[in-house]
Amino acid sequence: MFYLSQVEQNLKMPPHLLKPSLLDGELEKGIRGELEKRFLDKVITNLGLCISVYDIQSFEGGFIFPGDDGCATYKVRCRLVMFQPFVGEVIVGKIESCDEFGLQVSLGFFSDIRIPERFMVQPCHRGEDGIWVWQFKVDNEEFQYSLDIDEEIRFRVASVKYPPTPVEQSENSKPFSPMEITGYINGDGLGLVSWW
Amino acid sequence: MKIEKANAGNLTNFEVFDFLRSRGATSDPMGCIGSVSPSECKVFEYLSGSPAYMQTRESVNEFLRKADKFKFITSFEKLNIVNSTPTVMPALYATIKDCDKRIAKEEEQIAKENQLEEDQLQELLELVKEIFPQPAEEQEELSQ
Repeated sequence: MFYLSQVEQNLKMPPHLLKPSLLDGELEKGIRGELEKRFLDKVITNLGLCISVYDIQSFEGGFIFPGDDGCATYKVRCRLVMFQPFVGEVIVGKIESCDEFGLQVSLGFFSDIRIPERFMVQPCHRGEDGIWVWQFKVDNEEFQYSLDIDEEIRFRVASVKYPPTPVEQSENSKPFSPMEITGYINGDGLGLVSWW
Repeated sequence: MKIEKANAGNLTNFEVFDFLRSRGATSDPMGCIGSVSPSECKVFEYLSGSPAYMQTRESVNEFLRKADKFKFITSFEKLNIVNSTPTVMPALYATIKDCDKRIAKEEEQIAKENQLEEDQLQELLELVKEIFPQPAEEQEELSQ
């Protein structure tokens, strides 16, 4: 689910942040703060969602370029903890909502996980209250298992997509999600954790 | 921004959990303020509810060492197993890719390197249960 990514960034440290850092001798802490502001909780295409700054390997520079409002520019090499599940990974999440296309699962810190109908346990149908129900037949006996909201669900990652940023968006459309994960639950051991 | 190395190493859930804990994250969301950001706190909260909460560095290393003898599972599958600690056979089936296709059938006489047998799967399951005990079982041990 998580892995480390090594990046190099030209970081501009504004003077009001530099002064306390340099005086305390804690420039690294100031740089870390700026890195977190830059990367934390942001999605980097093809790398994933940045969860945390793991460590700062080196920084050099500190030159002030003309026209930069007095910002000192540092070339920082650091490692970031990225969240990007690999295809085929099994993850447990909570069902957040369901609609006519399928389920939406959330991990708390990441909610753009969809399980479309074609990837759900078959056969299933959507009940009157909107909740998806799995009809399980064994020896002529039929069992109905419903996929309720807030239930823990185990799914396998089918794909991780990074849709491009839309230039224009109409007011009623869904908020843009930079990283979308599609999962499937039609397999042994997958589906609600309570089933197995 | 220049990406020097896109993948500088995979991390198990336990390693991320340990890292956030060492940075000062706690289960109490109010206690996190100042040391870690709210989003890091959310990740910590999610990991506290996962099997990573009960794991230790030693138990993960021990599992990886002992699972080495099972040649049929790849390192990705080992990572999957450490992160999800399956305790029942269907859950283990889910973590191993194409498990049913890789089980050696009795009719097939050809022995392939990555073919596995049902009892090997059972052995793997027992190993997981032994090294990563479930919280309910631990409470039983404490009360005895």
